[in-house]
Amino acid sequence: MKKKKRFGLLTKQSIAGWVWLTPATVLIAIMSFYPMVQAFITSLKTGSSANMQWAEPILYNYTRMFKDQTFMRSVGNTFFYLIIQVPIMLVLAMLLAQLLNNKDLKFKGVFRTCVFLPCAMSLVSYSVIFKSLFATEGLINTVLVNLGILQTGYNFLGNSGSAKIVIIIALIWRWTGYNMVFFLAGLQTIEYSVYEAAKIDGANSWKTFWGITVPLLKPTIVMTAIMSINGTLQLFDESVNLTNGGPAFSTITMSHYIYNNAFGTGVANFGYASAMSFFIFILVAILSMIQMKVGDTRD
Amino acid sequence: MTKKNKSAVQRRLIPNYIFLTIVSFISVFPFYWMISAATNESIDVARGKITIGTHFIENFTNLVTQQNLWGAMWNSLFYTVVQTVIALFICSLAGFGFELYHTKGKDILFSILLLAMMVPGVATMIPLFKMMASAGLLNTVWGFILPSISTPFLVMFFRQNSRNFPPETMEAARMDGLSEFGIYFRMYMPMMKSTYAAAAVITFMNTWNSYLWPKVVLTSTDAQTMPMLIANLSSGYNIDYGVLMMAVLFCSLPTMIVFFVLQKQFTEGMTGAVK
Amino acid sequence: MNRKAVAVLLSGAMICSLGASFTASAEESDSHTLTVYAWDASFNIPALEAAALDYQTNVDPDFVLDIVEQSGSSDIETLITNVASAGESAYDQLPDIVLFQDHYFEQYLTNYPDVWQNVDDADIVWDNFAEEKLSFSTIDGVHYGVPVDGGTCIAAYRVDLLEEAGYTIDDLTGITWSEFIDIGEAVYNATGKYLLCFNSDGNDLIYIMLQEEGVSQFQDGEPYISENETLVEVVNLIVEMVQRNVLSLSNSWDDYTNTQIQGDQVAGVINGNWIIPTIQNVSENAGLWEITSLPTLSGEEGYASNGGSSLYITANCQDVDLAKDFLAYTFGGGSYEETGTSITYDNALTNGGVVTTYAPAGESDVYSQGVAYWNDTAIYQQIAAMTTEVTPVEQSAYHYTVREYLGAAIVNILNGSDTESELASAEEQIRFAMGL
Repeated sequence: MKKKKRFGLLTKQSIAGWVWLTPATVLIAIMSFYPMVQAFITSLKTGSSANMQWAEPILYNYTRMFKDQTFMRSVGNTFFYLIIQVPIMLVLAMLLAQLLNNKDLKFKGVFRTCVFLPCAMSLVSYSVIFKSLFATEGLINTVLVNLGILQTGYNFLGNSGSAKIVIIIALIWRWTGYNMVFFLAGLQTIEYSVYEAAKIDGANSWKTFWGITVPLLKPTIVMTAIMSINGTLQLFDESVNLTNGGPAFSTITMSHYIYNNAFGTGVANFGYASAMSFFIFILVAILSMIQMKVGDTRD
Repeated sequence: MTKKNKSAVQRRLIPNYIFLTIVSFISVFPFYWMISAATNESIDVARGKITIGTHFIENFTNLVTQQNLWGAMWNSLFYTVVQTVIALFICSLAGFGFELYHTKGKDILFSILLLAMMVPGVATMIPLFKMMASAGLLNTVWGFILPSISTPFLVMFFRQNSRNFPPETMEAARMDGLSEFGIYFRMYMPMMKSTYAAAAVITFMNTWNSYLWPKVVLTSTDAQTMPMLIANLSSGYNIDYGVLMMAVLFCSLPTMIVFFVLQKQFTEGMTGAVK
Repeated sequence: MNRKAVAVLLSGAMICSLGASFTASAEESDSHTLTVYAWDASFNIPALEAAALDYQTNVDPDFVLDIVEQSGSSDIETLITNVASAGESAYDQLPDIVLFQDHYFEQYLTNYPDVWQNVDDADIVWDNFAEEKLSFSTIDGVHYGVPVDGGTCIAAYRVDLLEEAGYTIDDLTGITWSEFIDIGEAVYNATGKYLLCFNSDGNDLIYIMLQEEGVSQFQDGEPYISENETLVEVVNLIVEMVQRNVLSLSNSWDDYTNTQIQGDQVAGVINGNWIIPTIQNVSENAGLWEITSLPTLSGEEGYASNGGSSLYITANCQDVDLAKDFLAYTFGGGSYEETGTSITYDNALTNGGVVTTYAPAGESDVYSQGVAYWNDTAIYQQIAAMTTEVTPVEQSAYHYTVREYLGAAIVNILNGSDTESELASAEEQIRFAMGL
């Protein structure tokens, strides 16, 4: 009798557990997976988006993208942003978190608020602001000319090298604080005594940072790295609003090029755009997998 | 600790203070620039004038007469609040279920859900638009919010934070005859207050700032949001930078207010603390 | 937050969404109302307001034209793409009429034939419009659009700055591009201002310079680039212009309008006449500008057209007869034939500076009046006369694709690349994009 009741209770709990998961699962299935399947089917088709035909051969869109110089350029640009920006941003975020975690530090709240504040600004807004700051006649140039560093205003957004750097600076500005918060949260779980012990062993703060903080933060690093890689591979707003992909496609990102093919210059090439999105999906999946593996084995 | 000791500690922290001050300055400066630009004439903004000007009222009046500012503010606020409330409810329920119920196969399900995090936004936009159109949801709050109510990130966030929720209390509550929903509603929700606050800040910001999807799904100007209004101003044929920056300022205010109000709970929530 | 609050919020949301769809369907049944999507509050919108007034005054006092302003032409293009791709269930998202860029129309008609309704049987004497203009909206002999503005190119110069360098506007009329470059260099040395400016990579200029010569970037439906001697010459001239400080290229559209033109950095502007309101925004320079025809390769006076738009009826228009009648009576010239004056075209010109390609309207008094900002010259009469001189060239659905890649080629050449190989690579990429 007692056993039966216990069993009933467990079933009830099990049912409840499933009920709690259902709304979120169903929504993700309908709003992410189902469209993804649709997109895959579309990626095997060509023609006007109102009247699509099966591609001939079926993988036409997939083979096409590797012959597409502009798309390959956008892949190169995106990886350039990824390789330069993500490490700088994550190290900076960790460093800031470390500094802010010091219990002797005063005005902690003020600093933390300031560093996090950029996240409150919308992507459209901050693109507008950075564009005006880095304009040829803009504030940064005015300051540099007045300081005598430059003779005349430099066209930051009009030259391919500097335009890429402006995008990276903008990204670091916008996202460092966001990642810092995750690191700060991770640091709170590390006992202060670990640091005290290191100090007694004579480790300087640089050594403590790399020897203690970084290894202990590994789960957070893996999570923020996956989020940042994912975000950078899907980078869109900055490329569109800051430089419009120019000059001469030198700053265009993969998502921007895909958007252009689907909604941009009049060529609604949904089949090709979907195929390229799948390419991103596979890239993100592979990179995340590697990240998780790296995170696992070191533990 | 002696007084001398204390000041020695502070002296050693001087480089830290300097570094943090520089970083804080860089972080905050664009906000100052935004405010000062909103008070200047378009041509002065283009020329990089840094000081506060006298055109605040004029820019504001122009903004209100040229664009439906209050309409866009209300739309953004309405969509964002509805989205935040529903998303928090559904994702916290899932995080609660994933962590605290021993449902078979939940870990496999969880990994599958995480895959959705890698689905690129551009890929699903076209099929989603078709779905919304055939369901008659274009230009409605549902068309806007449905795709991002349940996000793997938020589910994961609630799941991780639920680790700090003591399972023993659940057993005790069951003994007291509390229903399963009662446990969620009466115990989980109040105890996870700061997790909710952190999730609310993140969801609020993401929704308020989203641009690409609303641009596709909200085709009517009556439904437009603040980021769309800014995009309109910045892609017009004659752009007034002063007015544009005024709009940027208005668009940034709500997210900043939300962050400042919930700041304490936000930092607590991010560290997974249970109150 | 408690359960009650959630419930209130949710039901509130539902009521609002119900309300929204309710008002949308209420508008449809009204047979005195047309909805139109358009862009540019200082140009196209006043023209549409003028048309609404025309129709109200002379035909139907109850008529309402609901003009919904878009941020730019791309908004309407994206809307058509989305709606057409989603299928008929989404057609109700379309207004009755849209303003659409000429260069895009053919492509959108080819891709989405079901979205449009033709106006072939509208009561319009088509011969009154410029041939070049109609070549965009007439596909396989069927008329789809009613023209609004012409996009006829003007060469506008600051006469005071020319004078400083020792030139008059006559010295810039009927000259070769090489002579133009020499004058431009002198103007830059004397005043520090560029004689010409263009948005981003100068791809507009390639199209304009080619069109003057009657040459297209296409031949028999295929890109005509590296074999096209005129195009090679034009590209070389553009590069020379930049190198000799005659032409300044800006990063973006707003850099072009706000910093270069309105920031007083230039002594000249060449573009479609829709650029006039932008120039006029700088009130200090009133009376200092004049316009003339464009330089050419041979030294004759040059005429071209860049970027006009027309009005098109969509598949969602419930009262097609009303829409056709409205378009025929206003922009189609019906009111001019009936009353001898066209409120539409007269007001469009005075309020928006919109110059028609409808020839009879150009004879109106409004056109022959001197314009104070332009040193009291009758610029609109000049433009109307130039409009008739523009010759049609081969168009293609891939117009903007070609522009994009040629622009990129120019940027690369300016950075030191070899012209021949850049043009060859541009051609290759264009052929790729076209699926050739």
